[in-house]
Amino acid sequence: MIDLVWLVPALPLAGAVVTLFAGKRLGKTAGWLASALVACAFVVATGVLLDLVALPAEDRTRVVHLFDWIRVRIFAANVDLLVDPLSVTMILVVTGVGTLIHVYAIGYMEGDPRFGRFFAYLNLFVSFMLLLVLADNYLLLYVGWEGVGLCSYLLIGFWFERPAAASAAKKAFVTTRIGDTAMLVGIALIFVRFGTLDFGSVLHGAGPVLAPVIPEGTATAISLLLLAGAIGKSAQVPLHVWLPDAMEGPTPVSALIHAATMVTAGVYLVVRSHVLFEASEVALVVVLIVGLVTALYAGISAIGQDDIKRVLAYSTISQVGFMFFAAGMKAYAAAIFLLVTHAFYKALMFLSAGAVMHGLADEADLKRMGGLRRAMPVTATAFSIGALALAGVPPFAGFFSKDQIVAEASRSQGVGVWALALVAAFLSALYIARLVFLAFAGERRSATEPHESPPVMIVPLGLLAVGAALSGAALGLTVDGGLARFLEPVVGAVLGAPGGLSEAALAIVSVVLALSAVAFAWIVWGSGKVDWLALRAGPWNSLQRFMNRGMYVDDAYAAVVEKPGKAAGRGLRTFDERVLDGAVNGLGALVRSLAAAGRRIQTGVVRSYAAAFLLGAVAILVYVGVRL
Amino acid sequence: MTADQIVFWVFAPVSIVSALLMLAQRNAVHAALFLIVNLFTLAVFFLLLDAPFLFAVQIIVYAGAIMVLFLFVIMLLGVDREEQLVEHLKGQRPLAVLLGAGLVAEIVVAVRAGIGFAERVPEGFGVVNEGGNPKALSEVLFRDYFLPFEVTSVLLIVAAVSAMVLAQRRARPVTRAEREAGVGGGRP
Amino acid sequence: MSTPIASFVVLSGILFAIGTAGVLVRRNALVIFMSVELQLNAVNLALVAFSRMHNELDGQILAFFSMVVAAAEVVVGLAIIVSVYRRRRTADVDAVSELRW
Repeated sequence: MIDLVWLVPALPLAGAVVTLFAGKRLGKTAGWLASALVACAFVVATGVLLDLVALPAEDRTRVVHLFDWIRVRIFAANVDLLVDPLSVTMILVVTGVGTLIHVYAIGYMEGDPRFGRFFAYLNLFVSFMLLLVLADNYLLLYVGWEGVGLCSYLLIGFWFERPAAASAAKKAFVTTRIGDTAMLVGIALIFVRFGTLDFGSVLHGAGPVLAPVIPEGTATAISLLLLAGAIGKSAQVPLHVWLPDAMEGPTPVSALIHAATMVTAGVYLVVRSHVLFEASEVALVVVLIVGLVTALYAGISAIGQDDIKRVLAYSTISQVGFMFFAAGMKAYAAAIFLLVTHAFYKALMFLSAGAVMHGLADEADLKRMGGLRRAMPVTATAFSIGALALAGVPPFAGFFSKDQIVAEASRSQGVGVWALALVAAFLSALYIARLVFLAFAGERRSATEPHESPPVMIVPLGLLAVGAALSGAALGLTVDGGLARFLEPVVGAVLGAPGGLSEAALAIVSVVLALSAVAFAWIVWGSGKVDWLALRAGPWNSLQRFMNRGMYVDDAYAAVVEKPGKAAGRGLRTFDERVLDGAVNGLGALVRSLAAAGRRIQTGVVRSYAAAFLLGAVAILVYVGVRL
Repeated sequence: MTADQIVFWVFAPVSIVSALLMLAQRNAVHAALFLIVNLFTLAVFFLLLDAPFLFAVQIIVYAGAIMVLFLFVIMLLGVDREEQLVEHLKGQRPLAVLLGAGLVAEIVVAVRAGIGFAERVPEGFGVVNEGGNPKALSEVLFRDYFLPFEVTSVLLIVAAVSAMVLAQRRARPVTRAEREAGVGGGRP
Repeated sequence: MSTPIASFVVLSGILFAIGTAGVLVRRNALVIFMSVELQLNAVNLALVAFSRMHNELDGQILAFFSMVVAAAEVVVGLAIIVSVYRRRRTADVDAVSELRW
């Protein structure tokens, strides 16, 4: 089955082509077809997994050569797919969560005039994402990278008649472009240094084997450039500004692309290239700082958001920041673990949010929700499970994954870093509890009568809830549990540094933190005893706005980049109109005025003409006479 | 003073004065008449210069045919039209005087530089006019200048044809209204 | 003949100058035409004078041809003046100044 791994990206690609051309005729069947193809890809992926675990642990790396692609004199790249524990983990997550989201979207997008095209784009996205994680060389990875960026643009701007959506799509594309360009430079640098882009040659195996092969400066440069690409694609600070706006897209899009899969591509890149990062002295530190800063920043901003999807967007930014944080501490397995569990519970919460909005006639403002637990009990339950997972309450998934990262921080980093990690964990519990209480608890504040969503949307929610609930326990209770051991051939053995608090103590600290955050949120937003609306309008207004506007980062970009850019554009346009066009037009005007003055000689009076030429004749005669 | 000198010095002023008077007449007929006087004086000069044929031709053709044609046209266009004295173009009159004076000065200078004022004609023109001026002329004309002669004849034919074409009264296309009213001949 | 040839040539020049002035100053088309005839005649006089000076007949031949051509020219010119007059009811050259800016 490993040899058939090419089916995994090919099936959704075929689905994209079919639905693109026959979407109108297929109607609703397009949705089922697309979902079925992704489900088949999931089945194939499972088969690949089974084949892989049948192999001995040290030997679990296979390269499936599909065809020769580029062969120029000094450069060769082929379409090869790499099957190893990391890539198999990723494709299972992508196809698994992807299938559930496809099914959900059949209900969510019902009645949309471009129904077929939506599924074409979704399938295309899944195909590119799978290509990204299965690629065996950096060039093919970049193809997938760009492909998911394209599909993200198409899907964010799916309802392009809305100017906000079109603008958000453009913003996403341009912002990630900045990272992508740096990444391309990094890839070029890899080629310059290694002469090839194949993972096998560049990364050969786990562990710091690379140190003597390339100088440290080059490794730092390559790592930081690749990191720039990862920052853009994964919406980390400072290139995070596109993700909150990307919520303009349909909710299934937000769930699939901006929670479970595309934004994790950056984490995958860092983990895959960890050998390069370790060869540099500063690269991993930068990764750590980026992750931690982002986690804190997004956590704070999430508290001030009123739009249900924007809370989840900032939450995603924060959680991916946690993943980077983990990678920066060389806890790659923990990062991947969080990636997997986050895919479940974030997709779950996004789809539930979509169900909420669907039931409230597309209302997304938390201030106008409330008391929904009575009207949509299933949705409320599902969302709460996801929220508990995010908050890190045992036995749900988030407890295991996030806890591991914090524990690692306590072990290998200083106290300050550990404390900040704890603050970030506290914040994540706080904002999600706020969201749950504002939406589902209390009394109803909405104008419309809410209702539960159809089964085609509910069933995927249920399945994801199960995953969110159980995946943590299933994949590894401890830091060197199941997933970590599975990934060992790729990311190396976990360095369990001694010292710090014991496992149990750390666990208790995490749980206490999470529960106290939930309690605080209940008091302020859930119980009804605190008039939080008045507090926001009154003494806490500037703090509220500070959080709501994402600490004004977007506004800063607008002032520093956008305004001067637009002014420069206007200046150039004025220059073009006045100076360049003015010169050309001025030349024409000059000729015209000269001609207008010159033509007055043609008076039409014959006698003047006669006088003129007789004058000339006499003058010539005088000249000749004088010469003689 | 020899005879020719007397004749010359009598007729030269006449020719100049008649030319000036032609210039100054407001009535076109008067101007034409003064020009005829001028042409006569010129014919006399031809005679002085041993060109009797040209003397005759000048009177017959120039004064007799061309000027008559002129007078016909003047009559056609209105005999009593008087030209206005006001000059609209600024500086035209001073310019005319200037140019005229300039030309005269030129000629004088050129003559002085060329043949000089004292040159008298040689006597032997009678040999050239052997057998009479017309006979000698015709010999030169039909021998050396035969081609220009033929070309000139073509020129005359062309001139006659063009005059007929130009002076044709072109019939105006008759409008429907006029046709119904029964007016108008020529083309429908 | 004892009159210097120069006299004839100078006389011819004077008549030519008068003709030029006439072309410039007069407005009636016919009078302008007559001034041109005056110029032509002045030139004829000069031709014949030089012919006499050189003891040849070529000058007289040229004067003869000049007369013929002048005749043809007068015919065509008068025809033009007549047709312009028919259109415009005037023989004033200043009045027919449409070919202008």
